Amino acid sequence: MRKLLVLTLLSLLVFASAALAQDESQLRITFSWDTDIDPAVGDDFSSSHALANIYDTLVFPNNMASVDPWVAESWEISDDFLTITFNLRQGVLFHDGSELQASDVAYSFDRLRAVGEGYAYLMPDATAEAVDDYTVQFNMSQPDPFAVDKMIRLYIANEDVVRANYDMESDLYGEHGDYGRNWLLTNSAGSGPYEVTDYPLVGYLEMRRWDSWWNADNFHENAADVVTYVDTTEAATVRSLMLNDELEITDAWQSIEGLQALDSVDGIDVMAIPSMTSFYYMMNTRLAPLDDVHCRRALAYAFDYDQVVALEWPGTQAMIGPVPQSLGGHTSDLTIYSRDLDKAREELAQCQYAANIADYPVDVHWISQVPFEEQFALLFQANMAEIGVPVNVLSTPWGTVVENAASMETSPHIVTIYVSTDLPEAGLMLQQRYTSPTANTWQQNEWLLDEDLDARITDALLTMDRDERFAKYAALQQEIADQSYSLFLYDQLEKHAFKTFVDWRPEENSRVMGYQIFAPFIGVDG
Amino acid sequence: MAEIAVSPVPEVIDAAALARIQRQNRRENLGRMWFKFSRNPLSVIGLLMVIAIILLAIFAEFVTPFPDHVRPFTDFVNAKKPPGGEYLLGTDQFGRDILSRIVFGFRFSLLMAVVVLTLVVPVGVTLGMVAGYFQGTIIDTIIMRITDIFLSVPPLILALAIASVLTPNLTNSMVAVSLMWWPWYARLVYGLSSALRTEYFVSSAETIGARTPHILFREILPNMISPIFTKMSLDVGWVIIIGSMLSFLGLGVQEPQPGLGTMVAKGSDYLPTGQWWMAIFPALAIVVVVLGFNLLGDGLRDLFSAEEV
Repeated sequence: MRKLLVLTLLSLLVFASAALAQDESQLRITFSWDTDIDPAVGDDFSSSHALANIYDTLVFPNNMASVDPWVAESWEISDDFLTITFNLRQGVLFHDGSELQASDVAYSFDRLRAVGEGYAYLMPDATAEAVDDYTVQFNMSQPDPFAVDKMIRLYIANEDVVRANYDMESDLYGEHGDYGRNWLLTNSAGSGPYEVTDYPLVGYLEMRRWDSWWNADNFHENAADVVTYVDTTEAATVRSLMLNDELEITDAWQSIEGLQALDSVDGIDVMAIPSMTSFYYMMNTRLAPLDDVHCRRALAYAFDYDQVVALEWPGTQAMIGPVPQSLGGHTSDLTIYSRDLDKAREELAQCQYAANIADYPVDVHWISQVPFEEQFALLFQANMAEIGVPVNVLSTPWGTVVENAASMETSPHIVTIYVSTDLPEAGLMLQQRYTSPTANTWQQNEWLLDEDLDARITDALLTMDRDERFAKYAALQQEIADQSYSLFLYDQLEKHAFKTFVDWRPEENSRVMGYQIFAPFIGVDG
Repeated sequence: MAEIAVSPVPEVIDAAALARIQRQNRRENLGRMWFKFSRNPLSVIGLLMVIAIILLAIFAEFVTPFPDHVRPFTDFVNAKKPPGGEYLLGTDQFGRDILSRIVFGFRFSLLMAVVVLTLVVPVGVTLGMVAGYFQGTIIDTIIMRITDIFLSVPPLILALAIASVLTPNLTNSMVAVSLMWWPWYARLVYGLSSALRTEYFVSSAETIGARTPHILFREILPNMISPIFTKMSLDVGWVIIIGSMLSFLGLGVQEPQPGLGTMVAKGSDYLPTGQWWMAIFPALAIVVVVLGFNLLGDGLRDLFSAEEV
């Protein structure tokens, strides 16, 4: 009898919790993995989206290509541009209920710089110091016109929680042990609108709404209780999830045909969002035959860019030079490459490997989670066959591409990658694509390690006068195009299929990567 | 006392006559085997299918309408054309003729089967035979425990693990399949060989001081040929299926070379959008190849088992 009672109670409990779970509103989005949720590590598409939802920042990017006050209510810049003082909002709570203070900001900045991954490359050369509980000061070694804007990538972590989870058996960071890296792989220590509740590293990332968020008034009235990132971009899976009401927004990597097919289903629409992202064929300039500029130019002249654009979503534009056209300081006044087989053969003839080019096959790695990249790779292979350059087309998972990028030896001849810039400024794209600090990351396969170029890009970025700065950018864009370090394909329209009951207006958000699908501003009432 | 009839034995055997008789016997044997084989119409169909596929694969360059479409080539204007007209089985998402790619795909499937069996059979048979002959000794233990370890891992998982560690290409997928396949031959031959070692002709050979290699390869091996051959003929289809599975998962033949499995995998992305021909025709091609070899294998098995009886 007692057994029966326990059993009845248990089944009731199961039903009740199932019913409760039904009531929770969900926002499920597919992403290409890996997703790094450590604020000092993550910097790719899925990671940036996750971090924006989990952590708060001092300032917040708006849709007018600048920033709004966020955790920082206001800031002052000294006359010599070397000191920035941020005044923090009071009463901002971390997910454990403790208050976010200036020391957390300084700690997060130090940690990001020490770990040196993720968005560390973007941070100004500065020291951070908590003046009092609500005032943090950045002292910079030289003026930086974007120092404030760059703070959109300083995700503020809870110092006490991270410190409590140091692995002191590791001596990776001296007195800081592993700096909490192991723990932060699967846990969050933020104050953002969503808190990580379940992250097994692969499969999915589950986040729950944090109702004590300081900006809770600005939650969309139907903001999801639970946001889940689903680890797949596989066309058939994504389609069946969508049709079975188990997915609200798809990843940005579905094929045109797949999207068109979804678009024709009732209750599903497709959105194409302009982004600050461009699609590059990054050439490893340390690997024969691509270490010869003439060989690189030969490839650039032989590729059929018009065909590439024709295969993309209507309205997609070819790149003009090395940065997206939407960025401030982009110049259209450039000599760039268009398909011309005669010129390609001329350049090839000058290449030191011309005589035995057949012995130097060029490996092109496309990302296996983005199946439509294969068509460009095969087109490239067919185009190069016309000038006698042998090409191997290889499909490589994103995780492997990131690993391979870490060393010059494992970086392939060509890898095909979408790169998004953090601020709408041409110089920053040049910095993240072509300067030494990103050489060992997926943002650069070129391995330029050119100190002179580094210095000139830094100099341009630190030029306070806008026209002068843009002129310097223009010269750099021409030089990079001349050297043909990369092939420039097109500026991306970010395409997602989504359920029509989802109230999602990405055009009201910033174009900065990670903010297009900002969950607090999205309503789900399906 | 009954008289025993003894057939007269010629004092001197005429060598030429003997050769003639042997030739005639062989011919008669073959004729008898073909007669038995041809009684089963399915086996004959299998044989014809296999011959057709082999001929197509060899002469693919001349019989296909677009041999260029298996080399670096794209034609997006003619992409995703349905079957009919210029492209009998339609085109894929890159504008390549599916018929031409299937016929060339046969090449890689057959190559896979031939290479894998050529690698696997000698190794598996030798190891199994040695272990069986030395049953109960340390040699037996070492060889058969290693075999058991390989057999304890699910075959496809093993092949997947090996293939994914190596660079994905045809050679490495052959290596992967070979590594998972040899233990089955070792197991089969071990049983046969351990039974044969107690036969009189083996102990007689041992008694007169024959060396071990002679006993293994001249006494034992010839007596195991038919079961080995039967297994091989049935394995061809399986090897092709496993090879196609690997290439379905992207671990086999690489673009632009056509692998039947790869074509099914890529074509399946277009099933929901109505371009069914990209996946269905390559899948049917796999069915045809495997069916052909299996029907033929069944026929051969019946033939050999009848011979043994």
